[in-house]
Amino acid sequence: MLTRTEGIVLRTAVFGEADLIVTYLTRDHGILKAFAKSPRKIRSRFGSSLEPLTHSRIAVMGREDAQLPRLTQSDILRPFQTLRDDYTTFVRASRLIEMNLRFLPEREPNHDAFRLMMQALAKLESGRKNLYFLYYKMRFLQICGYLPGLEICGRCGRSSSERSPQYFYLAHGSILCEHCSAVRDEARELSAGALRVFCGMLNWRFATIDRFRVGDHLIAELDSLLEAHIAYVLARPLQSTVFTA
Amino acid sequence: MTQNIINNLITQLTRLPGVGRKSAQRLAFFILNLPKDDAQALAEAIVDLKEKARFCSICSNIADADPCDICRDEARDRSRICVVEEPSNILAVERTRCFRGVYHVLLGALSPIDGITPDRLKIKELVGRVQNGGVEEVILATNPNTKGEMTARHITELLKPLGVRVSRIAYGLPIGSDIEFADEVTLSKSLEGRREL
Ligand SMILES: [Zn+2]
Ligand SMILES: [Zn+2]
Repeated sequence: MLTRTEGIVLRTAVFGEADLIVTYLTRDHGILKAFAKSPRKIRSRFGSSLEPLTHSRIAVMGREDAQLPRLTQSDILRPFQTLRDDYTTFVRASRLIEMNLRFLPEREPNHDAFRLMMQALAKLESGRKNLYFLYYKMRFLQICGYLPGLEICGRCGRSSSERSPQYFYLAHGSILCEHCSAVRDEARELSAGALRVFCGMLNWRFATIDRFRVGDHLIAELDSLLEAHIAYVLARPLQSTVFTA
Repeated sequence: MTQNIINNLITQLTRLPGVGRKSAQRLAFFILNLPKDDAQALAEAIVDLKEKARFCSICSNIADADPCDICRDEARDRSRICVVEEPSNILAVERTRCFRGVYHVLLGALSPIDGITPDRLKIKELVGRVQNGGVEEVILATNPNTKGEMTARHITELLKPLGVRVSRIAYGLPIGSDIEFADEVTLSKSLEGRREL
């Protein structure tokens, strides 16, 4: 059976002498792995279309239940080459790739995850990259149902005050108010500013996020909170976080 | 009894990369039909490799002696170092007979999602060789893909301040191909790397 869809290359793994296993985030089938014959050979018809983050129109051939369908076509729609050309951007984009690989199950359609990734890649070619990376992570966690709870206390549901710092508990994946937890030493303090940014950003769409006003220090504060949260949820940090970017 | 002996070999062969059950069977029966001397030679070659192969302490090439043949060869130009990802890449460059310098094998390429950081590769050792002096040019022959490119950029940043010339092998269209069939990334890289005639 031939399946046609669009996909974003997340990773490739060497297989045999000159072959690759390509993992895509696809528009219609979620995470999809395909076997590509001989792309590592110089004269391969796949050309550069299997480089990470490339958006392509693809076709795979194989029975519905085949573990590893064969990639028969891969035409670049958008190469996103600038994201690979910049060391820091690629290291940081690798974290997005890894989140997809670690959070999403194989072959479970997830249109939202695909659309979000497409929007992020287009945005990341220029502009306020820190802001886009943070926004992506928030939305992605939301899609997967792992968005940390910062708006209300994770135990009693009381709204958090946006005027004073709050305390985030990794084990709860949320903040806890002072009535619900007196022990602050295992908590991460979250500034009132960061909390406002977090709650505010969720009301914005990717297309207009550039107009959202936020300082770099607050972006960094939230980014580090999300990274700790992701590492906790996944039971180990993303591999790409060992790279300093 | 015979069944067990054959199955044992098949199981061993399936552990090789890219060898499935079927190919392993084919290889096993091929070996079964080999003259005894040939089979013996094959087995000995495998044992020899494990017992004698080591990494060259200068360039990290795989060799049966340390330093390796190339590093020991007085006729080679030590002022030029060609940097590759894997020992097998040396064989490919050697086949061109165009390069008379020496090599440095990184034993991999940077990859954030696999957690392959610079300290996991033989990059420190390369910087050390350059710092020791006598090196005029470092030619980066890592693969023309994202990981290889990232690795080349990282090394360039480390070596540039040392005053050594750093060059990157050219991107180009494969000889015998047709521009019409080149994808946009390959073609744009070839344009970037154009040279005056
Ligand atoms: Zn509470
Ligand atoms: Zn050597």
